[in-house]
This record gives sequence, structure tokens and C-alpha cells, in this order.
Amino acid sequence: MAPHRIALLFNANKVYDRQVIAGIGHYLNSTRVEWDLFMEEDFRSRMRDIHDFQGDGVIADFDDPDAPDALRDLHIPVVAVGGSYHDASAYPAGVPYIATDNARLVRLAYDHLIEQGLTRFAFYGIPPSPGSRWAQEREHAFEAIVREESIDGVVYEGSPTSAGGWGHAVEELITWLAELPKPIGIIAVTDARARQLLQACVMGGFAVPEQIAIVGIDNDPMAQLLTRIPLTSVIQGAEEMGRTAAHLLHQMLRGVDCSNSRILVPPVGINVQVSSRFQPMRSPHVMRASHYIRQYGCLGIKTEQVADYVGVSRTVLEEHFKRELKQTVHQVILKHKLDTACDLIANSDVPLADIALRCGFTSLQYMYAVFRREYDCTPRQYLDLHRKTTT
Amino acid sequence: MPVSNATAWGQLPDGRPLHRWTLRNARDAQIDITDLGGTLLSWQAPDRQGRVGDILLGHADAQQYLASTAYMGAIVGRWANRIRGGRFSVDGIDYRVDRNDGGNHLHGGHDGFHLQRWDVEPEGDALLLRLVSPEGDGGFPGEVRVTLRVQLEDDGSLDLRYEAESDAPTPLSLTAHPYFNLNDRRPDIRDHVIRIDADEFLAIDAGAIPVGRQHVAGTAFDFREPAPIGSRLHWPDPQLQLVGGFDHCYIPHARPSEAGRVVAVVSEPSSGRRLTVRTDRPGLQFYSGQKLAGQPGRHGDAYGPFAGFALEAQAFPDQVNGSEAEGAILRPGVIWRQHTRYTVDTD
Repeated sequence: MAPHRIALLFNANKVYDRQVIAGIGHYLNSTRVEWDLFMEEDFRSRMRDIHDFQGDGVIADFDDPDAPDALRDLHIPVVAVGGSYHDASAYPAGVPYIATDNARLVRLAYDHLIEQGLTRFAFYGIPPSPGSRWAQEREHAFEAIVREESIDGVVYEGSPTSAGGWGHAVEELITWLAELPKPIGIIAVTDARARQLLQACVMGGFAVPEQIAIVGIDNDPMAQLLTRIPLTSVIQGAEEMGRTAAHLLHQMLRGVDCSNSRILVPPVGINVQVSSRFQPMRSPHVMRASHYIRQYGCLGIKTEQVADYVGVSRTVLEEHFKRELKQTVHQVILKHKLDTACDLIANSDVPLADIALRCGFTSLQYMYAVFRREYDCTPRQYLDLHRKTTT
Repeated sequence: MPVSNATAWGQLPDGRPLHRWTLRNARDAQIDITDLGGTLLSWQAPDRQGRVGDILLGHADAQQYLASTAYMGAIVGRWANRIRGGRFSVDGIDYRVDRNDGGNHLHGGHDGFHLQRWDVEPEGDALLLRLVSPEGDGGFPGEVRVTLRVQLEDDGSLDLRYEAESDAPTPLSLTAHPYFNLNDRRPDIRDHVIRIDADEFLAIDAGAIPVGRQHVAGTAFDFREPAPIGSRLHWPDPQLQLVGGFDHCYIPHARPSEAGRVVAVVSEPSSGRRLTVRTDRPGLQFYSGQKLAGQPGRHGDAYGPFAGFALEAQAFPDQVNGSEAEGAILRPGVIWRQHTRYTVDTD
């Protein structure tokens, strides 16, 4: 029997869509199912052309506002993938629908901020548009939580992102952040939005996470690359959505009626990084200094520069560090360098000599000496124990 | 750390007193255990923030445990899981054991190990639990002597080492039956993400008796990559519909060994807690807790469906009536051993 010809209609320029497609691939690899997959060469979907498709089934991104109409009269099985809706009537009728559970994504971000000890919350969304109803659903989920828990929650949608309006948009964002009571935890509707927040915090001089703790959604490696302060982010169950969609289509091709299936997939994790590791601090000097060390700690800074940035004398700053952290400024800088080095050793393929320089050690020998003193092992031994095998 | 002294914890219907002990480790974890059924009463474990919370379901008091139908936290024997029709034969002799589950035998019968008072004795950091199951217990042949060593280690591991001997050939399969919910702030485990390292599971009939091995590929049962429990419950699969969720025995693909292979890992995103299960048993029963509705909780409340899940290391259900029956028989002169470890840490 010839393999079924299946169209995957996704705009696979985002990590989420790529993970959905990866999940479909995992399902096919785990079974003996052979599908002849059709995707546009540039991984962009063109819904309007689908009526010319001579195939057996479709898995499509229903966050695309054109999808329901374009696929309505197609006489082959269709499985929809998209965001969940709080209003059941918003789902397309008669099509199995695999959803990322927007309410659970926001709930996980919110619960995480609560666990950090925060009591004030805000949501940074995006202005409504037909292609991003999921963003409105996340905003709705946030409003439902703050209503249910009787707390004040601020929502800011900002402006649509455009090259021309960027400067103005950042200024408005900084103004909004300045007016918020602090400390506060902000849930960003995506990592792309969270990155803008981090940028605005740096430009506006707000300490992350001491004044503003941030959680994004998507766990997008690109957003991580572009931020100096590592971003905490909720991990969607996108691969599982792909596996589920492939399974339903597989069943439908065997004649099983799945038209009423609606499966909501909850998040599968949260990548906790510095941007949300809020610890209540009393000294504003320590807060500002920590913020500075997190940004520039690996660039060879010394206590003097930190004190200059904070605007107090070395002695005053050391006094505050001793009282609040029971450590000297130098120790905190060194700890930041060591943490960064350990992370690179465990999670990258970067050679040790480069890691030493990147983390602000004057030489590889010096990094060896510090490791021996602090961890009682060499960086090489640490690498052998912790570096994840790349396959 | 040394085990606490015994404290009074209710009594049996005949008036004999029951007791509770506390195991602690160096990292704020704490496990309470009772001599009634060797039951794990609670397991306090730190979350991602270091905040301690109870990750086991439990009843309020001894009376509720004695009346329970959930085998809540107990050590189960002589036969964990089911035996078809409560019948089997060993060396040509037919036996009939208690039928307490719709015509089938389940978890040792009416007065299984979970309702017995075990002899408990601290040994340094560990507790030794001993039980003598007399000839004819639940209908099973032979007198069986069981010793279970329970230890809470500093890495967050609950280590369970069983030894048993019998004076006549008898089927034997013991398991611990804790129900976990790694997020003590949400009484529902459907957001937990589970990985089970098994290529095959045992498909069942309407009485939950295995009818044959089935490959997990392309089914809701494929947890070789981690997946949320809740969304899998909605996959169209007759095996799920039979019992309203997961209540199936997996066959882990790594060979059983003393080294203790990992058979399952469950993570809970909100608390950051993670449970790793290691065992040398051939089977791993995964139960998603769909029938827990109405079971009394610790505070006068009642659990709902999917309030907890169980991962039970054991022999295959009804193994005594299949081609691998001999592997489930304990014979005189042989020491039966089992080693299972539940490790709870954070991401």
C-alpha cells in the first residue's frame, strides 16, 4: 500500500511550531507508520492553496485565522492544533483539536512567582490581533486567576512590535514599569515579550529579579541567547501535542471517528533561571550591586567598580554585603564566575580554556586553582562528571 | 539519622496497640510509618524552594486504614495484584485463594499483609519490619516469613529491601502501595509528567486480568518519552476505557539486576519535585488513581479521582497462571529477595 500523503500546515518559524512538528516526527519514528509528508519548502503554510492538495490527511495550525475556513470543505481527515479557549464555543466544530492549555501555562507561571514569595503581579501581553487569539486567552487566564484570588493584577498589552515604533514602545514600557509597585512578578505572554521586558528593565535601571521578577512562556533558546540575565520560562507540551495530533490522524485514517476529540495538553515544565529567583532583600545597595554583578560579573569587574555603580564607598558596600549575604563583594563576584563556568562546563561544548576567559578568569591556571580551592576538584574532573553527552 | 521512638497510633479491633515511627534524613525529608500493614503514613519532602510538604495520600487514623479499600500506602502480599478466579496450581496441586475483586483474587485477599500488625524494630537509621504469614493465609500454602528493611537516605531515597522464606512452595509477590502526589498544593496528579522505560505492557480484559503483551508504540501507553498523564487519558484507546484510565502492568525493558535499573521517572512542574523508581522486579503496575473518589483524606475530607498515582514494583499480574508461573513461586530453602527504591528530589 502506498504511504498516506499528509500535509503539515504550520508556520515553523517559532520554537513552538517546530516542537509540534518534532512530536509528529517522534510518533512516526516510534511506529511503523509511513507518511509522505508535505510541507512548504520555507516551512510557511499557505492555507489557501490546500484545495489543490492530492492527499489523505492534514494536521494544521488553527491559530492561523485562515485555517478553519480554508479547511472546512476538505474531504479528508483534518486534525487541528492550537491554543485552548475558555469559551467552548470558540473551538471549530467537527474537527479534533489538540490544544496547548493556556490556562495551565499561566497558572504554572503564577504559582511559581507565588512560591518565590511575591505578592504583586502583572501581565505583559500583546495587543489583540486575529493571529494571536492565544495571547488574549493567556491574558484572560491571568485576569481569571487574580479575580479568583482577590488580588490586584495589572495587565499591559503594549504596542505591536515594529521596527519603526520600537524606540517609542520601549520608552512606554519603561514608563509602565516605573509606575508599577515593587517588588512585583510579571508574566510575559511569550519569551519574545519577556526579552523586551528584560531589555526595558536594564535600560530603566530596575533590578531583576529583586524589583521585577519575570517569567516567560516558550522556553525559547533564542530569547536566552539575547538576554544577559537568564530568563525563567514555562515549557509548553508542544512535542506531546504533535504526538497526540499524529496519533489521532493515524486513527482517523483507519476509520476511527475522532471528530469530537478535544485534548488539552498541560505544560511539561518550567525552566527556572535568575530572572525569577526573587529573594526579598532589605538593602537597596546590595540589590543594585547584585544586579550589576549578574550583568557584568564575568567581565573582570572588581569591588571598586561595583561600588561606583551603586554610588557608595567600598567600605559601606562591604558592610551591607556582610550584613545581608554574609559574604564580601569579591566572594559574590567569584561565585557568579564559578556558577557561570559550571553551567558552561555542564551544558556546552566550549573548551575549558575558552570558558576560563569567558567567565572572567585571568587564565586557565587561575580557574584550576579556584576550582581546587572551592570544589576540591579540577575543572576537568568536574567536566567528566557533569558534561552532558551531545548526541 | 536514627529512627524516632515508637509513638502510640490507635489499635486493632482486638485491642492490640498500633504504633508509628519517624524516619528522617539530613535534608529535611521525613517519613512516618506504622506497624499496621507496614504502611507509609506520610512523606514530607522539600520542593524546589526547599519548602516541605506531604507527597503521599493518606487517611486520618487507624480506623480508616482498617476500613480502607485503597491499600493506602501499605505493603501488599502475599500476592500483589490479581489472580484469575482466585485459582492456581503448584506442583499439580490446585489451590483456591480469597476472591475479593469481582471473582478474582486481589492483593492478598480479605486479610492481606496490609491489615496485619508487623513486628517493627529500629536498626540504626533503618526500620526492620517482620511478618509471619501462617500456612493457609488467604488460602495460600506454606508458612512465609518476611523481613522488610526500610531506610530513608540523604539523597531522598526510600530504600525497600525485602527477604522472604517459605516452608512449602507458594506464589509470592510483594509490593509497596504508596499513592503519590508530588504537588501538595493541588489535589490532582493529571499535570504530572511521567516517563516509563518500557517497550511493552500487559493488555487486560474487563476484569483487569492480563490477556497478552502489547507493544507501547503508537498507543497512549508509550511513555518512553515523558508526557503529561492527564492529556493521555483522552487518547482514544479501548485499554484505557476498560478501567477508566491507567491500571496496567508495564514490562520495563532493562534487564532486572541488583544494580537497580530505573523503571520510571515522574516530575511535577509546579513544585519541581521528581520521583525516580528503581526496582529489580519484572513488572511495574502504573495506576492513575481514577477510582480514588470518596477515599477519606487526612483531615475529614475526601479525595477525588486522580488525587494520586501508584507505581508498584511486582511480579506480573496472574503470573501464576501463565507460562512464567515458576518464576513467581517461592520454594523452601530459597531466600526470595526484592529491592525497590523511590527517590524524591527536585529539578
